[in-house]
Amino acid sequence: MRSLTLVTAASLWLLPLLAWSGEKPAKPTDKAEPSGSCGTSIDFFDSPQDAAKQALKDQKLVFVVHVSGNFEDPRFT
Amino acid sequence: MNALANEEVGKYLNEYYCSSFQKVATFKIVGGQKQGGNVAAYFCAPDGRVLHCVAGPVGGDVLLREAKWVVDSVKKTLADTKGDGAKFKAAWRTLHAQRLRDQYGLAVEAVTVDVTEQDPNSALTYKDPSGRPIAPKLPPPPIDGPDVTLQAKDLAKRQNEAANAPGAMPIGDRKGNRWVLGNDGRVHMLLAAHSLVKIEKVYGTVFENILNEKISTKPVEVLTPFPWVEKQRAARNLDGIDRSKK
Repeated sequence: MRSLTLVTAASLWLLPLLAWSGEKPAKPTDKAEPSGSCGTSIDFFDSPQDAAKQALKDQKLVFVVHVSGNFEDPRFT
Repeated sequence: MNALANEEVGKYLNEYYCSSFQKVATFKIVGGQKQGGNVAAYFCAPDGRVLHCVAGPVGGDVLLREAKWVVDSVKKTLADTKGDGAKFKAAWRTLHAQRLRDQYGLAVEAVTVDVTEQDPNSALTYKDPSGRPIAPKLPPPPIDGPDVTLQAKDLAKRQNEAANAPGAMPIGDRKGNRWVLGNDGRVHMLLAAHSLVKIEKVYGTVFENILNEKISTKPVEVLTPFPWVEKQRAARNLDGIDRSKK
């Protein structure tokens, strides 16, 4: 009974090591990605700030659309 | 919306621009009909300073033409001014004044030096309930008059084009003469004095003075002017008995 308990305890302690695959965890990337196109053919970032940050990195300009209503909802655009 | 769905426009904008959108106004839906609402597209430097603007809904060809004009002009002006920020701003405003002259035959003098900004923390600055200064209404530079190098026939032709442009409105010059300019003409006039300023300073003028639309954070209002009609219809459809008549 005691040996069974020891084996169980040892295997529980080793479990995280066995589960480790040897790969380093992925670093969080600082590159913002467009979040959607809202039914258009343009890739939109979440906010003009995100678009500006990415534009600075990619040496691009910024395109901002100001709309009335909810752009995400075609009924209210 | 249609212009933004154009594949050629999308391909070009995705290649040269990082895009985003913001809600700045609202509209009403009354009895299924849309009332009010508008759109403005800004082409900006990565720091948020406005290079150009397309006010109001336009076709894909116009949006693409303006997007290309901005990219090509930025490249050329950067090369001409050799990276000098002040010279770039002056040259860019002069480009807008030149486009107004070429397209509509009206002359404005580009404002190449900015006046001192108002202190946003001053007690005299008018602020909205959230504490931010209200988007200012920027004055456009006055029209000096017609381009004197144009023949009367050419000027008349350009003014006819302006009269047929979306949002065409009469506008006076320094001498009291009346001319006409559409949305795009008035955008060039505004940006001949106020391009390369932050978008939050320009958008109020574009939306309220050029598009005549009120800036608002309210959600879209859906109004049904005669709600009892819908109720009567629903009552009739429920079991075939007209309950509205008693």
